[in-house]
Amino acid sequence: MAELLFELPMNLLGLGISAFIGRFAYSGYSAIASPNLLRLTFAFIFVAAGFVFLAGGLFAGDYGRAIGTIGLAAQAIGYFFIAFSHSLKSFDAAPPRSFALLVPLALTPFIIPGNSIEHLVRSISFILLVYVSIETMASYMQTRKSSTLMIGSGLGLLALAELMAWYSFVYPGSLFYYAAIAIKVTGLGLLFVPFSKFGLASGLGGRLNSKIGNGL
Amino acid sequence: MATAYRTHVSIIADILATAKQYSYEGYDDGATVTHLIRKANVPHQRLGSIVSALTESGLLYEESTKYRISEKGIEFLRAYNEFKGFAEGFGLKV
Repeated sequence: MAELLFELPMNLLGLGISAFIGRFAYSGYSAIASPNLLRLTFAFIFVAAGFVFLAGGLFAGDYGRAIGTIGLAAQAIGYFFIAFSHSLKSFDAAPPRSFALLVPLALTPFIIPGNSIEHLVRSISFILLVYVSIETMASYMQTRKSSTLMIGSGLGLLALAELMAWYSFVYPGSLFYYAAIAIKVTGLGLLFVPFSKFGLASGLGGRLNSKIGNGL
Repeated sequence: MATAYRTHVSIIADILATAKQYSYEGYDDGATVTHLIRKANVPHQRLGSIVSALTESGLLYEESTKYRISEKGIEFLRAYNEFKGFAEGFGLKV
């Protein structure tokens, strides 16, 4: 019951934020046909779908764990789309220096004792989120834009949430799991703050059917 | 030091911004191909295909060998500037 009271609102909040950002990214794609905005659309659609599965898993009884894992996998795919956009940028501009840092992290799924699908999915999400937050912070160092700093911090918090959730496997029944959900939603909230400046101030709905750059 | 690269969308935005400058901002005749090459910093061969695509999609129109930006092009530029900030928040380019 306590799980339901805490997890359900948190998952619904995460769903709302990620769906809103995804919708804004899609309106950007339909307006100017930018491939990066399309990738961000896919990313946040998958993150939102993940929250739907995570919330649905709370009511699924014996299948709850499996449905929750599907939700985590959907979110990992979402994080992959953001990481993929950053990796294209890195390959285009300079040698892939950041990937060298990821080699030890990439080994983590294989050294975690008692591997399970959920462990693996969380590890992959953690790796992708650490990579994305490092790249975003590197962009902040170049541009010094507060919105980039906020989104980089938000992505960092999402990575921390995955780490905390992994700790809840090590210490089952502890508060790590609840802390992880709260940190995850806080991270998404940080993503939302600069987005609200763009999205809410510009009349989000009006852009959806504009298709200005269609055919470019 | 890594060189800054431009995406296809940002090249289009540069071409449209040049056309806008020569359509409204003190130069009412429109932009010549030379203006577009020099101001938007695009090679002639590449410019030809991009300008054809922009003309076909109604973002630019040709008027006695000069290019002027359309209302749709101005709307595209406005949307570009708005979503550029959004993508830059994620450390990406549009």
